[in-house]
Amino acid sequence: MTRERRPSAQTVAVLRALADQPERWRYGYDLCTELGMQAGSMYPILMRLADRGLLETSWETERVTGRPPRHLYRLTGPGLAHATATATPATASPPTEPASAKSARRARPRWADA
Amino acid sequence: MPVVVFLALLAALGLLLVLAGRRDGDLPARLVSAVADRLPEHRREWGPAMVAELTQVRGRVRRWRFAAGALRVLLFPPPHRGRVVVVAAVGLAVAAAATVSAAREVPTLSVFAGTLGLLLCACATLAAAHWPRRRPGAPYVAVATLALAAAVATVATLVRVAVLHPSATADGTHVFSVLFAVVLAGYLAVALIPPRAGGRANALLLWALAAALAGGAVWIAIAATVPADPSGITGLMSPVSAAAVLLASVGAAATTGSMPAGARAGVLTVALTAPIHFAADIGGVLHLGHYTLTDPYDVAAFARGGYPDVASFLLSDQLGGEIVSGFVLYPVALLALALLGAAAGTRLDRFRIRRAA
Repeated sequence: MTRERRPSAQTVAVLRALADQPERWRYGYDLCTELGMQAGSMYPILMRLADRGLLETSWETERVTGRPPRHLYRLTGPGLAHATATATPATASPPTEPASAKSARRARPRWADA
Repeated sequence: MPVVVFLALLAALGLLLVLAGRRDGDLPARLVSAVADRLPEHRREWGPAMVAELTQVRGRVRRWRFAAGALRVLLFPPPHRGRVVVVAAVGLAVAAAATVSAAREVPTLSVFAGTLGLLLCACATLAAAHWPRRRPGAPYVAVATLALAAAVATVATLVRVAVLHPSATADGTHVFSVLFAVVLAGYLAVALIPPRAGGRANALLLWALAAALAGGAVWIAIAATVPADPSGITGLMSPVSAAAVLLASVGAAATTGSMPAGARAGVLTVALTAPIHFAADIGGVLHLGHYTLTDPYDVAAFARGGYPDVASFLLSDQLGGEIVSGFVLYPVALLALALLGAAAGTRLDRFRIRRAA
């Protein structure tokens, strides 16, 4: 039997940001700036989400001179379902705006067991 | 203080070597791209992903912050953080136990034991963070076994010297203790870092293994047949090492047609043969029945040195020479030889292809 661990506040913040516009491909650095997170925190979360099949990754197909192609991320179907389930608090109503990682860490919501 | 300066210089040299050949971008970009390809196989794409994102980060402070985070992830990728913590904790406990044991049994080696323990703990922690890369093949396992056996033989020889002649390993400034621990850990790390997968990897590993084993066999034969000399049985700069490095680099480059593969085989041969040579040479001197000084310079130095006996003086001199020459200076010349051998090997390969055509 596998134990489902409660996601961290930062993971939930990333899931929410990605679920905000589920069809849109997102860049790693844009997510960092949007959520006020460091690369050292963001990338392990993205890696774990991709490991679990919750995150779809892709490379830019359009060639831009002067820089390498960037990695893109968006939630998969199960990822979107997980994000929705995770963001549904047991007792409190969810915040209306995407919470930054810092504020999410300060006021950790009571997450429903995902 | 000299030790700190030396370590800082060594770190700077290591950084320069890591960044050598990477002229694109500023220092954060070069640092991240230098380690981007060290991720395990199943995480390989995340390295270039972080390198590409760094091109979008503006401002020096932001770039450094992003690079620091990326380096943290590249060196300690998830999901093995638990394993990394366990390995680091066990490694630190073993290093502490080794240092305490050395302080009790062979006090002159306590700094060496502590430094080597900490460095090996750091290496093991990094290896745990990157595990599993891929299933290691038989050539890699053989090379790793030989590297570990050579390192164990080196440390065992040093401990024997410290037990039999403690004054020979006395090191007031700790420079030699730290230097020897750093180079020994570095050699072990070079030998244990697996080359990239593919046919070339196995070829270069096998060439280095064959060359190191041949060199080791020659030294053991010399130790068994040639009457021992207090100044070492095979000399500090053994031509056997040079021949082994040349054999490995030429052979690997000619087989694979790749100069980097030939150079890597040469470097690997240096990393494998230096500890074997140290153990054979110092072991040979230890087996001498009696020690006499024949050189007037040695006689004068012994009188000034305050050593309790001639054996301690000779062994101390030999240890210093082996560490500085055998592990630091001579390998620099051997690396140049490895590059030459690799270049010659690739030419041989091209010549062979042209003849076949």
